[in-house]
Amino acid sequence: MQFGVFTVGDVTENPTTGTTVSEGERIKSMVAIALKAEEVGLDVFAQGEHHNPPFVPSSPTTQLGFIAAQTSKIILSTSTTLITTNDPVKIAEDYAMLQHLADGRVDLMMGRGNTGPVYPWFGQDIRNGIALAVENYALLRRLWREDVVDWEGKFRTPLQGFTSTPRPLDDVPPFVWHGSIRSPEIAEQAAYYGDGFFHNNIFWPISHTKQMIELYRRRFEHYGHGAADQAIVGLGGQIFMRKNSQDAVREFRPYFDNAPVYGHGPSLEDFSRETPLTVGSPQQVIERTLSFREHFGDYQRQLFLMDHAGLPLKTVLEQLDILGEEVVPVLRKEFAALKPAHVPDAPTHASLKAAAERARELETIE
Amino acid sequence: MNDKLIAVVTAGLTTPSSSRLLADQLSAAAADELSGRGITSRVETIEVRDYAHDLTNNLLTGFPSAELREVLETVTAADALIVVSPTFSASYSGLFKMFFDVLDDKALAGKPVLLAATGGTERHSLVLDFALRPLFAYLKALPVPTGVYAASTDWGPNAASLRPRITQAAGELVAALQHETPTQADPFANPTPFEDLLNG
Repeated sequence: MQFGVFTVGDVTENPTTGTTVSEGERIKSMVAIALKAEEVGLDVFAQGEHHNPPFVPSSPTTQLGFIAAQTSKIILSTSTTLITTNDPVKIAEDYAMLQHLADGRVDLMMGRGNTGPVYPWFGQDIRNGIALAVENYALLRRLWREDVVDWEGKFRTPLQGFTSTPRPLDDVPPFVWHGSIRSPEIAEQAAYYGDGFFHNNIFWPISHTKQMIELYRRRFEHYGHGAADQAIVGLGGQIFMRKNSQDAVREFRPYFDNAPVYGHGPSLEDFSRETPLTVGSPQQVIERTLSFREHFGDYQRQLFLMDHAGLPLKTVLEQLDILGEEVVPVLRKEFAALKPAHVPDAPTHASLKAAAERARELETIE
Repeated sequence: MNDKLIAVVTAGLTTPSSSRLLADQLSAAAADELSGRGITSRVETIEVRDYAHDLTNNLLTGFPSAELREVLETVTAADALIVVSPTFSASYSGLFKMFFDVLDDKALAGKPVLLAATGGTERHSLVLDFALRPLFAYLKALPVPTGVYAASTDWGPNAASLRPRITQAAGELVAALQHETPTQADPFANPTPFEDLLNG
């Protein structure tokens, strides 16, 4: 099982000091978080893509490339890549390039974005969100898998004899996750291709998340990629820890109460009951995270949101130390002990490359 | 278990409120009317005031609390709905509207609804047809022709004239309820096959 962190890259006022970091500081703090994630033994760093304030990461591959140069083990991913408003040709090129530079330590999570105004800035219409995700991704897949592509669709200029360069590293396209909170069509898309499905459940009740994941698993089996419990599932999580749970609650409450997403709404206690938010001791985080498996089955990737609501970098780095030292080692052991042998790990470049080689050998034998 | 479920959504703020008083008379009249036709029924009355915080939280977080989810499901599952709002600033109250803002916009499609409102004077009575009726038309509900508006005087000197309006509206609701109401397709049970999505 893979453990990691994901960030949306928001610039938010620290409600306890009234100070706000600059865009430059925020960009550098995301890099520091990624380096720390590798240092403490996490498997994945994923970052969002946004094209409007208060978010900074409009150019994820620039940032991930910079991080790739300073790391050697961690997988670099996205949360999410906008498959709706980006040109699929540019996604194919950018991430193949990143794959080469990072020696294959790259995968992506496709998303549609959540703000209406972004679409017209890129010449699109939010009402076509699903149709764009379907068509653009179908093209992206071909660009990574076929050397020469002739293509015509509804949303983009046709392609004649087009070759996306560079070709994917070892001719193995990056693994793709599809992220969606409430669209059954996206769970269906992930199932159809046998890709991963990530439910960013951090702001959602279990009953809802369960419905989406069960749909994905059922359809994954329907499309012949394996049994439902072999489907590739990822989940979000949101935690804040201190040795004593009361200290964690006291320290995190002002950030919670003023957070952009849920601030000025439900109490920390109510929100913790309804969603995966866990504010408490490392042991409480371990127990809560282990309980996800009981609701959603054995899953392959757990990402935590650590750096939002104006939390200072210093605090986030302390949180990553606790996560890496006290929480993840226990979770790795416990999840591994519970996972049946037929449930696969999340695909990596190495495993996909080996699978492609086996497939070629079989062809040669025949 | 062939009970007809009548859900009542009432948005009065005081206890007791005149909206609740009207709601109880309307639901009792509808139950009487059903039993007169040999149909058993049960009534679930929802005081929106009890969910005021949950409604705000739902708007901010995008999902209902477990308690609110339960009442939204009751309304969605009901065979017929009675709604009562106090008149605030020439319309339904903000709290009343919040309930229907967080309810799925397909939840009331084809559902018979009795529209009712309360207010200080008779001069606001067109709130039924100028505010409530367009809202429920948008939600594709089937509001019955007679709405019931009760002003302060309807609880005193004019009580005798309120009664026939209640009976009339309840009769219309029961008549509408005996038609089949359409059921909604479940997108999780029956997703659109991906080939159909690919072919646009």
